[in-house]
Formats: sequence, C-alpha cells, structure tokens
Amino acid sequence: MSTDSKLKESRFVALASIAAELHSVMAVAKGVSLAAKNAKYISAQAGENALGFQPITDFIDEISQQAITGVNSINEAALKLSKIAVYEQRSCNAYQRFNLVYTKHKNANHIKSLSDTMIRVEDKMETTSKKYKHRLNELVELLESMDECMRSAQSIASVSRIVTSSSNEYQAKLEIVANSLDEAAKFIKEKVSGSYHHLNHIKAYSNG
Amino acid sequence: MKSTKIYDNGHQWFMFGRDPEKPESIIDTNQYMIVTDERALLMDPGGIEVFAPMLGAILHHANVEHITDLFASHQDPDIISSLGLWDQALPHAKLHAPWIWESFLRHFGMENIQYVGIPDEGSEINLGTVNLKFIPAHYLHASGNYHVYDPKARILMSGDVGAALESDQSPIFVDDFEEHIPKMKMFHQRWMPSNRAKNDWIKRVRELEIDYLAPQHGRIFKGENVTKFLDWFEALEVGTAIAS
Repeated sequence: MSTDSKLKESRFVALASIAAELHSVMAVAKGVSLAAKNAKYISAQAGENALGFQPITDFIDEISQQAITGVNSINEAALKLSKIAVYEQRSCNAYQRFNLVYTKHKNANHIKSLSDTMIRVEDKMETTSKKYKHRLNELVELLESMDECMRSAQSIASVSRIVTSSSNEYQAKLEIVANSLDEAAKFIKEKVSGSYHHLNHIKAYSNG
Repeated sequence: MKSTKIYDNGHQWFMFGRDPEKPESIIDTNQYMIVTDERALLMDPGGIEVFAPMLGAILHHANVEHITDLFASHQDPDIISSLGLWDQALPHAKLHAPWIWESFLRHFGMENIQYVGIPDEGSEINLGTVNLKFIPAHYLHASGNYHVYDPKARILMSGDVGAALESDQSPIFVDDFEEHIPKMKMFHQRWMPSNRAKNDWIKRVRELEIDYLAPQHGRIFKGENVTKFLDWFEALEVGTAIAS
C-alpha cells in the first residue's frame, strides 16, 4: 500500500475517531450540568453562607450546556467532512482510472472523447476539495472553541474553591462540585487534545 | 482486455473479456456492447477491477458520448459494481436493470445515471435501428433477472445461464459441446436455484430464433450448440446445495 493510500485510509478513520473520542464527553458534560443544578440547590440552602457561590452555579451550568452543544456540532461537522471525503475519494478514484485508460490506450480511435469527461471530473474534484477545506476549518474552529470553553471551566473551578472556603458547613459539598467541574474540564481537554491528534492526520492528507 | 466483434450487419455486437492483466483472484467475465449509428448499450459492464481495461477497450469502437445505455442483468458485483465509476464517466446515461434491485444497486454509488427499472414481465429498448427485448430470467440465478435478446442479430445475452468456469485464456466459442459440459455443470447445479424457473425459461427461449447464446462467463454457444445447451440444461437437476 502506498503512503498516499495509507493517508487516505487514515483520513476516514481519523474523522470517525474524532466523533468517537468526543462521544464520551457528552456523558461527562451532562454529569456536570446535573452537578451544577445540585450546587444551585445546596447554595440556596446555604443562603448567606454561599452567596458568592450562587452565581458561579449558573456559569457551571452554562459551560456544561456549551460543552453538550459543542460536542453535537463537532460530531455533525466530522460526519459532513467524512461524507465530502468519500465523495472526493470517489471522484479521485474515477479520475485515476480515466487517466490510466488515457495513458494505456493512446491509440484508441475514440480516446479523445474521454477528455471532456476528465475535465468535468477534474472540476468536480476541485469544487469538492474547496468544500472539504472549508469544512475542515470549521471543525478546527469548533475544537478550538471547545478547548477555550474548558479553560474557562478550569478557571471557574479555581474561583469556586476560593469562594467555598467561606461557606462553613456547606464547604465540603460545594468543594465536591468544584472538583467535579475541574475533573470534567481536564477529561474533556484530554479528549479535545486526542481529537487534535486525529486532525493532524487529516491535515497531513489535505496538505499531501 | 480482448474485444471480439461477434456480429456486424447494420449494427455491431462486441464481446469484451479474457483480460490478461486481471487479478487472478477475480472471476473472468464477459461484457457485451451493442453499437448502432446513434447509440450504444453496454451489457453487464463488470466489476470495479475491470472498469479501466473495459473503458479502454470500448474506446477502440465507440466514443464516450455514444454510450447512452447500460444494462445489468442482476445485482452481482461482477456484473455491475463498476456502477459508481460509470456514473462519473456517463452522467447522462440510463441504467436498465431489474426494478427489484434499484435500492440495492444504488449502494454502488449512482448520482447521475438514470435508473430505468425493468418490470417483472420484461420490456423493450429501441436503440434507433434495432429493437431489443429484456427477457425475464427470474431465479436464474437472481430473484430479479433478465437477458437481452436481439431478434435481428438472433443473439441472446444470457447472463449466468450458459456460464462456464474455466481458464482466462479459453477460446471465445464452444467448439466441442460434450467437452464443455464439465466446465459448466457444477456452476449451473449450484448457482441456479429453481428447476421450475429453469424449465419455464427454456420453454420461452426455445420459441426464440437464436444463433448465438452469449453468457457472462465462459464461451459463446453458436448454431447447433445453442439447442444442445438447452437440451442439456433441461435435463439438469439444479439447486443441488440442498440435500434431497
């Protein structure tokens, strides 16, 4: 198998892997959303003892919602990209075979009639390639946005710990929420980083 | 890929096959093309692996725009898995194939070519100077299956009926019928599932005037070998994978 075909193969696998990598994020993000709702209840019970923590619970919930929406968007973008890649691969496959016919049957009476077909398929390949690059950039932006979102989540987790230190008997409960947010953010960042790794395979093909 | 003109009188019939560059692990197939002044029909154009040699061989006899129609006798990969590639080469062509297989055949990739489903009772196609009949051959071997009959050339393209498993270098025509039997016996016994379907087909085909019976694998039957084949096939018990 040539290096080129290995890259092409890994492009489809890489796109599927991004979707798979982020699938587990969904459950974690939903868990954080639940924790945020729980924290809201605890801080309401704590009253004045958790005044600083109450607005933070809204941020945590917002971040978990952003993560859920982000994962859906990334999955959708990866699927669209994969479909375009298949379409591109099919045109490319046909073009390679036309080219083979053109080279091997130079002397065939009607060989010139293949030229229009080749030009048409070449145009199609160019259009598809532009679409592919556009979708690829979209996917990169979505992953960057998810990464940014998780950095914010880690900052909120740090602020939460400081705020909960003055919450007396509710401190332990609220600390659990802050820790769970921090752990979730770390986990999601790890998954995003794994997705970047797959994305590098895809980019290598696009630049190759 | 070798191309042989088997008929030339107002319109032409070509047979393509015996490709020396074909990977050894794939079965050798016969592809056929009818060319009239205005149009060309490609019959059972073959699998992905034979697409390039097939297109190359065609271009010696017709230009790309001349090929207006494709025919698939049934859905097997050696018959039509090249569909996705023909779809890129001939975006304005029509594919005539069993109606029953449309949603299955589209899995090979078909965005441009128009699917013309052949009804169970068969149909006809006019290529300008020649009228062809799509003859039902259901269960021989696929559940939706047709052959192409050209009454003017007296040729029946018989799909898998008459097929033989033999060397890629074998001659184009059956010479000694008795010697040919062992090459096709197992194929028909195993691939053809129904004695009832077989006998019904033989009864209808005996009413046609046939000079050439042209299968998708192996050799073409000519003249008296056509009748010999029909007699032999009639006597043959098929569907033998199930113990009686």
